[in-house]
Amino acid sequence: MEPIGIFILAMLCQVYSCAANVSDSVERMQYASVAGEEYLQGDKLETNLDDKVYFDFDKSALDAEDKNLLEQYLPEIKKAKIVRLEGHCDERGTREYNLALGERRALEVRDFLVVKGVSGKKIRVVSFGEEKPLKSASNEKAWAENRRVEISLY
Amino acid sequence: MIRFLSILFILVSNTIFSILEIEILKGSDNLSKVAFVPFGNESGIEENYGSQISKNIEKNMLLFGEFENLAVNEMLSYPSSENDFYYRDWKVLGVDYSVIGKVNSVNALGNLNISYSLFNINRRIKILEGEIVGSEDNIEDISKIISNRIYEQITGLRGIFDTKLAYVINSDADTYQMCISDIDGKNEQILFTSKAPIMSPDWSPDRKKIAYVSFENGLAEIFIQDLQSGERDSIQALGMTNSAPVWSPDGKSLALVVSFSGNPDIFLYSIRNKRLVRLTNHYGIDTEPSWSPDSKKIIFTSDRSGSPQLYEISTKSKRKKRLTRDGNYNARGRYFPDGKSIFFVHGNNGNFQIAIKKLSSRYIETLTSTSLDESPTISPNGNIIIYATKDGSNGYLGGITLDGKARFSLPVKNGSVREPAWSPLLN
Repeated sequence: MEPIGIFILAMLCQVYSCAANVSDSVERMQYASVAGEEYLQGDKLETNLDDKVYFDFDKSALDAEDKNLLEQYLPEIKKAKIVRLEGHCDERGTREYNLALGERRALEVRDFLVVKGVSGKKIRVVSFGEEKPLKSASNEKAWAENRRVEISLY
Repeated sequence: MIRFLSILFILVSNTIFSILEIEILKGSDNLSKVAFVPFGNESGIEENYGSQISKNIEKNMLLFGEFENLAVNEMLSYPSSENDFYYRDWKVLGVDYSVIGKVNSVNALGNLNISYSLFNINRRIKILEGEIVGSEDNIEDISKIISNRIYEQITGLRGIFDTKLAYVINSDADTYQMCISDIDGKNEQILFTSKAPIMSPDWSPDRKKIAYVSFENGLAEIFIQDLQSGERDSIQALGMTNSAPVWSPDGKSLALVVSFSGNPDIFLYSIRNKRLVRLTNHYGIDTEPSWSPDSKKIIFTSDRSGSPQLYEISTKSKRKKRLTRDGNYNARGRYFPDGKSIFFVHGNNGNFQIAIKKLSSRYIETLTSTSLDESPTISPNGNIIIYATKDGSNGYLGGITLDGKARFSLPVKNGSVREPAWSPLLN
């Protein structure tokens, strides 16, 4: 019985080895590079400031409140080795357009930081569009929270 | 050991997420009534293949709410050949079309010969007669072929019962699956599972590959996956974000979006020599490309006017034309198979719905009435649109037929289903 069981497992390993490799690489990716630069998630710097700025629907402009928050953040941002800006959208509208819009939002934050003297070289920009909402509900409050750029320092 | 556990997980997930089933919400405005008479079996055939086949055909034909059936127990007679067929038996029951047939054995190898006929009761004529030979293991495929022919004869449209659907399932916050299934939801296959988002599936014209976007390496990246081998290749296009891949009608290139230093534009990517050719160059967002059926134009979304609108660009002359002006959100356009109309997502007073527009007309027609509709895909015969929508926090697929306005939905048992992509025909 046992040899047959092992044989079946071996067969399954064959059949699913492609899929297994794939999930290995997804595992690895959490610690791997983004946009070609190495940094470890474990090195994320903790700050006690709010790490998100929010946007209006289909807009990427920063308002006075956002700029104020980023200003407060500046000393820590300047100390960090890597600044990761992750752009997001609410679920309304189309997915690919939102992917571009999320990137635009993150770039708006990058440009503001660069004007304020942060080196553009240490800023990493990524957009998830509407794929990673903070809130899954479909109402104005959830949408407002989902239209954001998240700032992480490393 | 980790590898072994992940294998088990994949095996289990195969059974958990098996899924889509079409529910008719509203039949066509002008339903035809069809009688699917149980097919006869030649004496000596032990299994009742005949009734299996006629039941399969009935299920296929009723799939999208385009027809109503006559219950078998209401039939006055059960003819399996033309000699036993009397129009009055069907006329009296208000039937518009009757399908009859018979299964004969060909040889000891298990091959079957299935003959079938379709009658138009109102015109009192036989409108289709056919024969098909196949193995008893292929009853479902045989039934699909017969269903296609019957559908074509009644509607004048290509039959689509052997087409497939690709879609993304998000079963929980951290599990994304790229799936394909038969158009009736059967034979689901999970092509790829990831903890990071998967987007924008698109079929190659020969139905052998699917292009899609995966975030598995931390940012949007385009992959082409071979369906037979399961092999995946990343398109190493430059730029921060690579997205929205769509196959050209000849299968030799992809239109896609590359964002160099944060400015997304449309490019053509030749698969064989991996060359990237720029098509648009604007500081606004240009995305969501799709080819016209004759390959001469590409429709795309751009916010160059200040809000997302649809444009088309000639792939040769690069001349551009704006296609939409109604309201402040018209995006992710696709051409109809005849190239004369487009369908897209239209934003109207905070609702996002599926709309169509004849290119020769100024007017748009909104097809759906829910508020978060997106990712429309059209059947290869141009008559059915399936799209993604949302109910509470669960995404499901909705569908509508364009001629009869039948409505159906394809809910998923676990989590959310999104981004449907209808396969092409197998010629």
